[in-house]
Amino acid sequence: MSETQTAEITEVEAKARLLDLKSLDNPKAMKLYRRFDGIIILVLFLFIVLGIQIHFTLTAGDWDYWIDWRDRRWWPLVAPFSLLLFIAPFQYGLWARVRLPVAGTAVTLLLCLVSWVSRYFNFYEFTHFPMSFVFPSTYIALGILLDCSLVVTRSLLVSSVIGGGLFGALVYPLNWAFMAPYKVPVELHGMLMSVADLMGYQYVRTTTPEYLRIIEESTLRTFGGSVTPLTAVFSGLCGMVIYMIFLWVGSRVNAMEKFTKRIV
Amino acid sequence: MNKLLAKKKWFGALLASMMLVMMAGEASAHGERAQLASMRMRTVHWFDTKVEPLNVKVGDIVTVTGKLVTSEWWPNQLASIEDTVFLNIGVPGPAFLRLDSEVNGVPMMRSTAFPFGKVYEYKTVIRARVAGRYHVHPILNVKDAGALVDKGTWVEVAENDSAAPFVNEYTTMPGDTINLETYALGGVYTWHLIWIAMGVAYIVFWLVRKELFIPRFIRIRSVGNDRANELMTKRDFVGGSIFFTLTLAIILGGYLWAENKYPITIPLQTGKVEVPPIDVPTGDLEIVVDSATYKLAGRSLTMNLTLTNNNKSPIRLAEFLTANIRFMNPEVNEGEIYEGEEMVAKAGLTASVNTIAPGKTVKVELVASDALWEQYRMTGMINDPDSRFAGLIFYYDDNGERYFQEVGGSILPEFF
Repeated sequence: MSETQTAEITEVEAKARLLDLKSLDNPKAMKLYRRFDGIIILVLFLFIVLGIQIHFTLTAGDWDYWIDWRDRRWWPLVAPFSLLLFIAPFQYGLWARVRLPVAGTAVTLLLCLVSWVSRYFNFYEFTHFPMSFVFPSTYIALGILLDCSLVVTRSLLVSSVIGGGLFGALVYPLNWAFMAPYKVPVELHGMLMSVADLMGYQYVRTTTPEYLRIIEESTLRTFGGSVTPLTAVFSGLCGMVIYMIFLWVGSRVNAMEKFTKRIV
Repeated sequence: MNKLLAKKKWFGALLASMMLVMMAGEASAHGERAQLASMRMRTVHWFDTKVEPLNVKVGDIVTVTGKLVTSEWWPNQLASIEDTVFLNIGVPGPAFLRLDSEVNGVPMMRSTAFPFGKVYEYKTVIRARVAGRYHVHPILNVKDAGALVDKGTWVEVAENDSAAPFVNEYTTMPGDTINLETYALGGVYTWHLIWIAMGVAYIVFWLVRKELFIPRFIRIRSVGNDRANELMTKRDFVGGSIFFTLTLAIILGGYLWAENKYPITIPLQTGKVEVPPIDVPTGDLEIVVDSATYKLAGRSLTMNLTLTNNNKSPIRLAEFLTANIRFMNPEVNEGEIYEGEEMVAKAGLTASVNTIAPGKTVKVELVASDALWEQYRMTGMINDPDSRFAGLIFYYDDNGERYFQEVGGSILPEFF
């Protein structure tokens, strides 16, 4: 805490803080704090579950809904972009206030769980799509890497370079373990398709025609055909920048405390 | 008194809600009445739409065939069908599997482009997957414009006799036979469980400790931000390092495992295909639209035409088609009506001259009139911002050969 800030603390407030600190030795107070912690966990849980589900649906929805949207170029860019801008402000708050580097893992884990619930009930049970066509992607490992880089470096800036970079770069390799079978080639009436393309064609989506997919198309600027590694590098860079920007947004949100105090 | 009034209000609201639910009709259409009347008339003319068979069991094949003409009167403000279009099928989600679709014999797995004024013959083969009663429509999705929906045909799908789950088998190019209904789900579940377990372990590592949010907040506030890192213990550092290394190792292991197991993979496939239009016999009938009016009260479209028959045989005016509605001329009585076909006005067309002799030029008043105008919201034409129409006139020669030509132009309403 800077000297200026220390000087701003009144004598009454300093006494109050000392009392707070002493209360940590009081078993009754600790019991009460644990209850408050439970409430905080519950509130955070609900907020993150609802928030990430709505946010991810609106920003990266189709890329995560359908296996025939998860391409090499757009999905590895869009998904980390969308996730990091949600995670970063939470990460800043939890780190600055309580030194708990869990936002990345918590958000990606809850997104995964809520996505499975949604896919099962909405897509499989209600609209009859097979789970093999609509299963969600996983980003939990990226959340863990993001959080652990903060634990190890203890710096938001350095962790945004390491963690943010890995978060962007590893989307495709992480999911490849269970997505590779869907990229096996098949032939349909003389045309080459991947299994994912075939499923997208067979399982009819009236309002999702083939051209609507925002996926990789051949360009003259594809360097040496190395789409996956190039996208990974670019996505890693984007991950760093986006994470830094939204950590800053998080710091601004945290600074709003002054205003809330004044209002109170 | 106030309580009694409040109760009455609640009761009224409940009653109204119940009535709304009870009065609500069956939601079964795909928006064939929703688009502006003039848009439906001037985009694509679907005809000869045939869906068969109409009663099937789960696993059976249904074939949808027909033809379409892209209108020369395509609205300029609409994104063009000459750019990107996809032949789709309007069914409630994957109640059917699409096994094949083609236009003029070209496979239509991908998008294409249709120039204006050309004729296309399409075929879609679907396989019943879920039991139910479905309104099956051919659809063209036009990029940046929307969906152009043909009329629907009801298809009844019954459960099949076998209790075995539905299977959708395919053979991949490497030679494996796979069931797309459950393909590779074992790997999906396993890897998701591994990562969920890792995530839960990490969260538990941090949240199951004596001091959590409030105590840690108190300590940080007490020692100040500069010394806040003192809350991070050696255990935290070691735990974080282990999770970090283990995560990277599992990602790498999973990637290499998949690369080894599936050595042949390809990127998602896309790109447009080209479809040449088909040649259809032209009937050498010269059509000039002198005027067209729409009678609001009479629910009828009247076209005053000058027709010149340049054929060698007389021709008979049999049918007018617009916005998927067929107006048939009972005096000529030509044109097949398919089983289950909707939107057909069997006596909907009257012509002041039914037969035109070869080499003759005649003035003809053609009136297309039926309650279908109302039913399919064609009366909304009066509210459209551009009062223009288009449609196909079908006519027959002496040999029973069918010809069709598009007509179109401005249209004026008659209010009284």
